[in-house]
Amino acid sequence: MVTFLRGRLLSGAVTLIGVVVMVFFLARLTGSPIDLFFPEGGTEAQIRAFEQAYGLDQPLYKQFLIFLGNAAQGDFGDSIWQQRPAMEAALSEMPMTLALAGIAMVVSVVTAVILGSIAAAYRFRRPDRIITILSLIAGSVPVFWFAIVSILIFAIQLQWLPTSGSYSWKSWILPVATISLSPIGVLTQVVRGAMIDVLTSGYVRNARARGFGSLRLIFRHSLRNAALPIIAVAGDIAASKLNGAVIVSVVFAFPGIGRLIVGAIMARDFPVLQASIVLVGLAIITLNLLIDIIYMIVDPRVRLS
Amino acid sequence: MTFSAQILRTSAIAILAVAGMSSAYATPIDPAITVAVAVEPDSLDSCDTQPAQNANIARGNIYQSLTHVKPEDGKLEPLLAESWSQTGDLVWEFKLRPNVKFHDGSAFDAKTAAANVMRTQAGFEIDGKATACLNSGQIPEPVQAEAADDLTLRVTTTHPDPILPLRFSYIDIGGMETQKTAQKTTRPVGTGPYRFVERIQGQHIKLTRFDDYWSEAPQVKDVTYVYRSDPAVRAGMITAGEAQIATAISAQHATKDDRTVEFKDNRIVLYRLRHDKEPFVDPRVRQAVSKAIDRDTLVEVLMGRTGGPWYQMLGPQVNGYISNFDSSSLSFDPDGARELIAAAKADGHDVETEFLIVTKTDLFPGSNEFVQAIAQYLQEVGLKPRILSIEMTAWRTYLRQPFPEGQQSNMLMISHDNTSGDASFSYPRYITCKGTNSSTCNTEVDRLIKEADAAQADQRAQLYQEAAKILHLDEMTMEGVAEQVQLMMLGRGINYKPNPLTGIEILISDVTVTD
Repeated sequence: MVTFLRGRLLSGAVTLIGVVVMVFFLARLTGSPIDLFFPEGGTEAQIRAFEQAYGLDQPLYKQFLIFLGNAAQGDFGDSIWQQRPAMEAALSEMPMTLALAGIAMVVSVVTAVILGSIAAAYRFRRPDRIITILSLIAGSVPVFWFAIVSILIFAIQLQWLPTSGSYSWKSWILPVATISLSPIGVLTQVVRGAMIDVLTSGYVRNARARGFGSLRLIFRHSLRNAALPIIAVAGDIAASKLNGAVIVSVVFAFPGIGRLIVGAIMARDFPVLQASIVLVGLAIITLNLLIDIIYMIVDPRVRLS
Repeated sequence: MTFSAQILRTSAIAILAVAGMSSAYATPIDPAITVAVAVEPDSLDSCDTQPAQNANIARGNIYQSLTHVKPEDGKLEPLLAESWSQTGDLVWEFKLRPNVKFHDGSAFDAKTAAANVMRTQAGFEIDGKATACLNSGQIPEPVQAEAADDLTLRVTTTHPDPILPLRFSYIDIGGMETQKTAQKTTRPVGTGPYRFVERIQGQHIKLTRFDDYWSEAPQVKDVTYVYRSDPAVRAGMITAGEAQIATAISAQHATKDDRTVEFKDNRIVLYRLRHDKEPFVDPRVRQAVSKAIDRDTLVEVLMGRTGGPWYQMLGPQVNGYISNFDSSSLSFDPDGARELIAAAKADGHDVETEFLIVTKTDLFPGSNEFVQAIAQYLQEVGLKPRILSIEMTAWRTYLRQPFPEGQQSNMLMISHDNTSGDASFSYPRYITCKGTNSSTCNTEVDRLIKEADAAQADQRAQLYQEAAKILHLDEMTMEGVAEQVQLMMLGRGINYKPNPLTGIEILISDVTVTD
């Protein structure tokens, strides 16, 4: 177990360093913050002072080494636009991102397990056909379109929910629904497929012959055996939600690291961009580690291998 | 019914009617409003109010300037300066308004005004650190500002500058504490009718009425600014009652009633051609570009009420605008355009060179379709355009000199506004040989603009207009396509009359609320 975790942490660290290197150099290929920060007529003295303040006067390899040295001590520099430390800006957005992603994943997994199990139990019959069609629609609907349409219906026409912002619990409903929609569609199909495999296996037929009720059979005995592919796909989806659910951030003006990253890219705020990417990277590595542990708990064969 | 019962009934009706009337026209006490804007401000420092997203919140609400352009007629009016005069070729004196207080309780005086003017300028250093103010472009030549006495600001210019008071309408005055450091403030202190309460990055900015304001107190007490990048959401917030003012509404989200109001702010959609590169080296091809575009149809179909066809660089309230301009040589004539291109080709010009139509993703709402239509018009007359839609920083590499080595020939789409009324805020940068945003180099244009910069009133306007004639009829490197009309939405009971300055300052003190 310890060896496994150590290996996972090591590969996570290597991945993180790779991401940091890529972000550092690719971001600088997109242009300098000087073009945005200084108005026309900015003097050479001003530009030099700015470059010195943010270390942009150094050769690129030196900038990178300085960044690595400082980052190792938790210092990602100051935001160019926000007049505060870059990591502080990134950390301030992270709780909302984690909460939104967490709630959306719980909603997605619970809904998908229920719908997928029903579809599997009634395979090729009407409930299965309805759930399959609905899940395909949910998985294919463009998120941006759904977000706007849900605002038009629930906020503007019916006025049940706020259009945007993050003022009360009601503000969470449309963003959670929007980012849960596609995962519900995908996961329902995964659950259905996995459950059909399990429900048609010998031990389930045997259990049924011994008089086990349907619900107990599905949710207690079959679901655990169908869990591995569900956990794998849900883990991938959760990682993508940690990247910030950018569309939700933009359309619903919902706080989160996605919006911060997009803003930092547009403003060439390299310190904030780097701090945010490192934070998201850390969160994804931690999530993958958790998924591996859950795998081991659910299926002891994973531990043996 | 007895007489007394009749009196009672009539009285009751009268009381109810009066009560009803008074409730219909009631003025709420200390109302609070929410304003939905498209973009979060970069900075709330007094020296960074040039970009519209900063100005929309800070100008005129938190900060005020020494002078102010009257939106009704474009004339200069006193604000924090009560009067001004030129006491020498290079010297101006501004008499400041007495009994004005900053939000932190400190007094506004000439020392503070001078410190603001100095800190705003490019190249100014405080404790060895250079300032980087976005307003620095408003003072292109260095000036020296000092306090002659408590309420007299003396400003010495490098060259005669007849429009210095106009330039000062763009220099906002912040509290003295901010002027002591090159670092930008995050807690703005000004003299305006509203003081800063809080800012949560990415979420909102809150202001509240300043009780010690020197002029009449506004009706609205609390203002919250929120940022919603999608115009559908901004419009939806008004309909749902979540916001009372929403800016930058696109035509398809506008309502047809009086909740959607429109204004012009001298903002023009332009194109700029690189005349040093084929296919635009020959002026006949540049003329053909203009003749290929059917502005009337393009604007009517794709901009609707948010635009009108246009041929010049500047809007009608700017002194460089030619009121009796004959645009017939530039107007839609595809056959004429083909003939001009053929003639240029016959003279050996490579008119088949592919060029880029460079545009920004946020040029204006619906600009992508607009640019695609222009590309099709140009293809129809035999030119070979390719659209390049990019974001601001990349777009600026096409806008600003020096252009990178080997940059492809291009037609740059620009949305340019001039709210000052003076062409010196546009022409020197855009159409002179050394202009940072210029691809034009005509010595006569340069001479006229240099003379105009030192001239006053009618002579100044005439010189700018002569330069504009050469630009539009001889050079043809920078032509207008559409005059933009901006839309904003107001919530129920909100009274606000937009004006040509609304694009850069939405004065909450001009907003009134009826229940």
